[in-house]
Amino acid sequence: MSKDPLHTRLCDQLGIEYPIVAFTHCKDVAVAVINSGGFAVLGEAMHTPDEIAADIKWIRDRIDGKPFGIDLVLPASAPAEASLDDIKAKIPQSHRDYEQMIMKKYDVPMPKKGVDLHQWGGLNQALGRAQLDVLLEESVPVIASGLGSPAFLLDAAHERGSLVWGLVGRKRQAKRQIDAGVDAVIAQGFDAAGHTGDVGTLSIVAEVAAIAGDTPVIAAGGITTGRHLAAALCLGASGVWTGTLWLACRESDVDMLIKERLIAATADDTTWSDSISGFTMRVLKCPWTEEWKKPDAPRPLESPYQMILSSDYIQGSNDHRRGDLMTEASGQGVGFVTEMKPARQIVFDVVEEALATFDDLVGLPD
Amino acid sequence: MENRPNIRPGFDPMLAGKRAECDGGGLVPGSRYAARQEFTGTLTGEYYDEGEPAWRWYLMNELTHKPANFPYAAVWCESESIFLLNPLSRSEQA
Repeated sequence: MSKDPLHTRLCDQLGIEYPIVAFTHCKDVAVAVINSGGFAVLGEAMHTPDEIAADIKWIRDRIDGKPFGIDLVLPASAPAEASLDDIKAKIPQSHRDYEQMIMKKYDVPMPKKGVDLHQWGGLNQALGRAQLDVLLEESVPVIASGLGSPAFLLDAAHERGSLVWGLVGRKRQAKRQIDAGVDAVIAQGFDAAGHTGDVGTLSIVAEVAAIAGDTPVIAAGGITTGRHLAAALCLGASGVWTGTLWLACRESDVDMLIKERLIAATADDTTWSDSISGFTMRVLKCPWTEEWKKPDAPRPLESPYQMILSSDYIQGSNDHRRGDLMTEASGQGVGFVTEMKPARQIVFDVVEEALATFDDLVGLPD
Repeated sequence: MENRPNIRPGFDPMLAGKRAECDGGGLVPGSRYAARQEFTGTLTGEYYDEGEPAWRWYLMNELTHKPANFPYAAVWCESESIFLLNPLSRSEQA
């Protein structure tokens, strides 16, 4: 072997040491990973433009000029009509009754304040647009879109020195974005936390890598170890996108009760359920997801009805820290998250295991 | 849409009546999660551009495939998320 197997095109693009991308909603995790030689993308989909600007400054003050990324959820479709009151009125009584049964059965406390549903419908687009304008104004080093195509902003971003990444779940989405000139494609498989495509990580990464040419491909979905990293590089990826890996790390602001559950969990403790949002998403099992699987349960509603229906359970559980009720998006790789380690240690452990894997296979460079 | 600033509506006759798929989705209301939604339908040709750089959205109706219980008759699709079922011929593109 003539080269460092962990020094990839992505490392050259970003000037980073290791091809590990942490996707996180926690600024402390992002900074710790960046300062350990990896890269981090902060998820800001729920934040206002002012909050995003403040977070960008906070990160810049702590990473000594190193690059970082911000992820938004750019919508790809939107209903052609919108009224939250109309939506609420259309939730069937049978579903309201089932929700109330769960709330009583598990003694679920009500939220301390109203659940925020302000991004609904067309406002979703307006929010995405306003968030995006902040990223362009701030010349964020990497702008990542966790859903919709970022192709329309490529020229504006490149003029400001920003790179643009897009996350895809299907080969045709990847081809469209690569042809448009995105700077990297994140190929996310079914193993991932949250709302995934239905193609497995092993297949989608190889499919996208086969058509990517010089565009770096970043593998996502179930990646939590150095062996996963080595495998992703063998599939043709230039790096890995990791989320669950950081949820239980020491710097993470995830509730300690959830951290404990993540550390104890295996892949079997995750479920692909549409009972929370109406969209299928991978989460830790909880009473809510399990009750909706029962034979006598109504069929979960489409979004946004189901999200409105589940919102009191989710928010109430979190507000009152009911560990027996809480849930969190979690990928199938969660079984390898077994300790609450510092982020720096996680980076080094993943790197060390990946190198050991390559060494076992083909020997390491001198 | 009517209440949002920086919206510029238009009509593309080349796309009017074209069957297409949309790899859609968006932010799940009240959460930080993205969710995918797939549609098949007919493009009306109506579109709007929002802001600068222009973010283009096309209207799709006559939906023959949509998420179960999707309550609407039409959907706006972001232009790069639309895949024509019968791509435009060269003469149509010219």
